[in-house]
Amino acid sequence: MKLAFFPGCMIQVRFPQMEAAVRKTAPALDVELIDLPGLGCCPDPVFFKSLHKLDWLTLAARNLAIAEQAGLDFVTICSGCTETLAEASHLLNDDADLRGQVNERLHKIGMEYNGGVATRHLITVLRDNLGFERLTASVTRPLTGLRVGVHYGCHLLKPRKIMQVDDPDHPTVFEDMLRAIGAEPVDHVERVICCGKSCRDCNLPEEMTLTVLRSLKTAEVDMMGVICPSCFDSFDIGQIKISRKHKLGYTIPPVYYFQLLALAQGLTPAEVGLDKHKIKSERLLTL
Amino acid sequence: MKEKKRVRISHDFREQLGLVLEGDGVNYCYQCGACVGDCPTARFSEDFNPRTIMQSVLYGLKEEIASDTLPVWMCSNCFTCFDRCPQEVKPIEVIIALKNLMASEGIVPKGVEAAAAGILKTGRSAIVSNTTVRRREELGLPPLEELDAGELRTLLDADANGEGEK
Repeated sequence: MKLAFFPGCMIQVRFPQMEAAVRKTAPALDVELIDLPGLGCCPDPVFFKSLHKLDWLTLAARNLAIAEQAGLDFVTICSGCTETLAEASHLLNDDADLRGQVNERLHKIGMEYNGGVATRHLITVLRDNLGFERLTASVTRPLTGLRVGVHYGCHLLKPRKIMQVDDPDHPTVFEDMLRAIGAEPVDHVERVICCGKSCRDCNLPEEMTLTVLRSLKTAEVDMMGVICPSCFDSFDIGQIKISRKHKLGYTIPPVYYFQLLALAQGLTPAEVGLDKHKIKSERLLTL
Repeated sequence: MKEKKRVRISHDFREQLGLVLEGDGVNYCYQCGACVGDCPTARFSEDFNPRTIMQSVLYGLKEEIASDTLPVWMCSNCFTCFDRCPQEVKPIEVIIALKNLMASEGIVPKGVEAAAAGILKTGRSAIVSNTTVRRREELGLPPLEELDAGELRTLLDADANGEGEK
């Protein structure tokens, strides 16, 4: 299955190990990732959007126009990019006047967007188009006995009507994907709360992140599974800062789903940058 | 005796906000409070309550909500209120519209403007460092493409510093 690849800035620049994990696991899943030239920031659904929503929509439409020109749908691997591009498509498809207004701007650089691009996160493509059986079929080293507490994050699932991925209150897609590669998903109380990263207030991000960490600690997980680079940041370096401040000694390694898949496919931890995380999983590094 | 605060209703502010994309959703708010129950920010802070923000907008109490610190910038941007609202007000989008309106008046918290300006300077929201280049090489990833950020600025009528002509 051929899809236009939208890795996103944060993954490309700050957490390239996530991009490596996706690029290295995709071939065995029959996903062909096409790199289109000229793709810019999605742009980010928090700060950029909060300054000027029409500018945000216009830059998103430019990216969508590039995929439309190539005749491909987008596959994303960052929850933030998924939210921006899916919401932008929704707004542009829903409102012809708004699309006209955005296209007037796009014409200045010789582009136009006509609503022909769908944006889906890779996990949605795997579930709906390829099937989790394909995940299982690609596994050569099942992660048997590995207890993973899931942190969903917000933008993969919400807003529900636009994202159409899973029930945001009772999601199962991440747990299903973990079972498909032999790992054991572990339920915990704060599975679907926000990590707090986007709050512009000094205490809230810390309180929310800490709430998730306490929940995971109580559930006695080996590690936490994440799907969003922003959440990863909160729980990798963020966890070190919080744990030090509160003298908690927490070291719950956050791991991106596709890094786990890579290990299950027989790749080494270093090939997907697991040795570069601030909080390392000894158990995974010695696989 | 405690002095009672007098509320002066102003429709101008609501009309002004209605000009921002999805800022007019607030007109459908009937103050039920469904947006509050699962709001993570409201759970952790008494200073943030999406229902009272909607109420302030409905009354036109601009000075209560338009500041660079509190309360709209505390929003976690999680979209839970978007899903919960029975009136499709999309409180988060009204809050974003409020931020847009404040930004057009130069009221923006530190760091937010810089983050956005970076996108118009380089095309990306994160700064490519030598570590980025080295790490990508080690992982066997293709080098990052040099983006034409000038095209983005043309698109938005922004200058080289990423400042838009709004």
